[in-house]
Amino acid sequence: MLRHAGHIFLRLAMTGVGIVTVAFFLMRALPGDPAATMLGDFATVESIATLRAKLGLDEPVWWQYLLFLRHAASGNLGSSVVTGQPALVEVFASLPPSAALALSGMAIAIALGLPLGIVSAVRQGSWTDMIVMVVALAGISFPVFWIGLASILVFAHWIPMFPALGASNATNWLTQLYHLVLPATVLGISVAAYIARLTRSAMLEVLSQDYIRVALAMGVPRRRVIGKLALRNALVPILAVIGVTFAWSFGNAILIEAVFSRPGLGSMLLKAILARDYQLVQAGVLVLASAVVVINTVLDLAYGIIDPRLRAL
Amino acid sequence: MSEQLEIDDAIGTLDADGIRREKRGRRAATIRRFTSHPSLVVGTVVLLALIAVALLAPSIAPYSPTRTSLVNTLAPASWAHPLGTDQFGRDVLSRLIHGTRVSLLVAFWVAAISLSVGTVVGAIAGFTGGWVDRIIVLFNDILMAFPGFLLALAIVAARGSSLDSIILAVSIAYAPRVAAVMRSVALTIRPRPFVEASRAIGLTPTQILLRHVVPNSLPPVIVVATVSAASAILAEAGLSFLGLGVKPPTPTWGNIIADGQTAITTNPLISISAGLCIAAMVVALNLIGDGLRDALDPQMRRQTARLL
Repeated sequence: MLRHAGHIFLRLAMTGVGIVTVAFFLMRALPGDPAATMLGDFATVESIATLRAKLGLDEPVWWQYLLFLRHAASGNLGSSVVTGQPALVEVFASLPPSAALALSGMAIAIALGLPLGIVSAVRQGSWTDMIVMVVALAGISFPVFWIGLASILVFAHWIPMFPALGASNATNWLTQLYHLVLPATVLGISVAAYIARLTRSAMLEVLSQDYIRVALAMGVPRRRVIGKLALRNALVPILAVIGVTFAWSFGNAILIEAVFSRPGLGSMLLKAILARDYQLVQAGVLVLASAVVVINTVLDLAYGIIDPRLRAL
Repeated sequence: MSEQLEIDDAIGTLDADGIRREKRGRRAATIRRFTSHPSLVVGTVVLLALIAVALLAPSIAPYSPTRTSLVNTLAPASWAHPLGTDQFGRDVLSRLIHGTRVSLLVAFWVAAISLSVGTVVGAIAGFTGGWVDRIIVLFNDILMAFPGFLLALAIVAARGSSLDSIILAVSIAYAPRVAAVMRSVALTIRPRPFVEASRAIGLTPTQILLRHVVPNSLPPVIVVATVSAASAILAEAGLSFLGLGVKPPTPTWGNIIADGQTAITTNPLISISAGLCIAAMVVALNLIGDGLRDALDPQMRRQTARLL
């Protein structure tokens, strides 16, 4: 178990350095000059050169990279060109509404997707399975922002049950929650479709194993075979599925924030991109990727607890 | 005595269950005959139809997709404009027809790039093993830690928005996924006897890779590439919706939805029809992916169906 944890933390450290590296080269070594991009179409050669010097872009790339690594290690990801605030401070300030959206969305997605995926695997080929799979296919195929727009049209305009705006200035948490219902449900449904599909195939994989056949042949009741044997064995792949969908739901949350004009990391990133405030974009991307890595590490540790066989690895 | 009873009881339930299973199995087989392979057929037909629309766009579209008409803005559906016009008076149907091109281009290039890069990288990792494999896996894990859409967003932010940026961005996001699948398949192929035999008769690793590993692992990799193409379309639509996609006035399904957003209560048809187009193409690709997966792995499906 300790070895398992040790490996996981070693990988966490390497991945951490890795995502900082990717975030750096993403912004700087790709074709295209960030300084020119930041200044827009009407920039002069001199103004670009000045900005390049100011951002340290005229230094050799490897030196910039080392500096960036050192700064990142001490939690300094540069500062916003627009507000002058440290980029990390801006990112964390915009995080709470996004976290609320992503977490409530994931909660809905898991509560909806897991049971539906399990049921449709157990009743493979039945009408229930057919209906769940058709709905899930639609769920992963419609763009999430379109589902959001459609839900605004139906549940805010035609049947005015919920507000079209995904946030309010009220400090009352109940009002905040009321505004969150529609966006969180839309996010939840889109991710639930994905979870249901992957859960179904993970479950089918387990159900086709010989020990399930043996248990059934021995007369162990179906309910127990599914509940005890199959589900426990399918838990690791299902957790892996949920880990993958976290990354996915962060991406979707950005679009949902745009549709519902909700404040948060997504709208902050968008504003930063349009203002060509690329230090801020870099910090935002890094924070989200780190969140994904941390979540997956926690899940990796959980696998060890659920499945003793993995501890030996 | 009680033991005997228990066994009898067990046989009894087994029989009843067996009959029920048999019935369900037959029904499942019938349903499957109409779903799994037809899904491949339906997906392919829809995709081909969309390709035809994209190729013939200028001749099918009733108007130019960029022709504005300030006297006829946000017109409701009519015979002249079956889906109405947008806030610049442009014909929505013509814009949708031309929008097919961007989506298909993105899907095609992302599938092609992630398939070729992912296959090569994944095959090298899985087949060579050792340090090469570890480095590639680590690099892959790092790229996959970035939410795909976010990675695309960042790349487009750094490079400026253009069709090339979008294709590059989405490919960087999805090639690692293809590589991961390719690697795991290569790992299962490596210890197979025919690989050992080829090594014994003196084929070089490159020859074995090209002649045995790649062809044998292509089917599951193609499934992943299909799914990447579907994700690419959604990602492009998302970027266009946020105003970071192909520059207007070039119509894309994503920017048509964004254009329609402002008029969602009065002219919902604009956004709704564009969303349906996106869904049609993505469903088609997903159906092809699902159909291929089922067609390639019929053993497991049938076994499970018989069992439960």
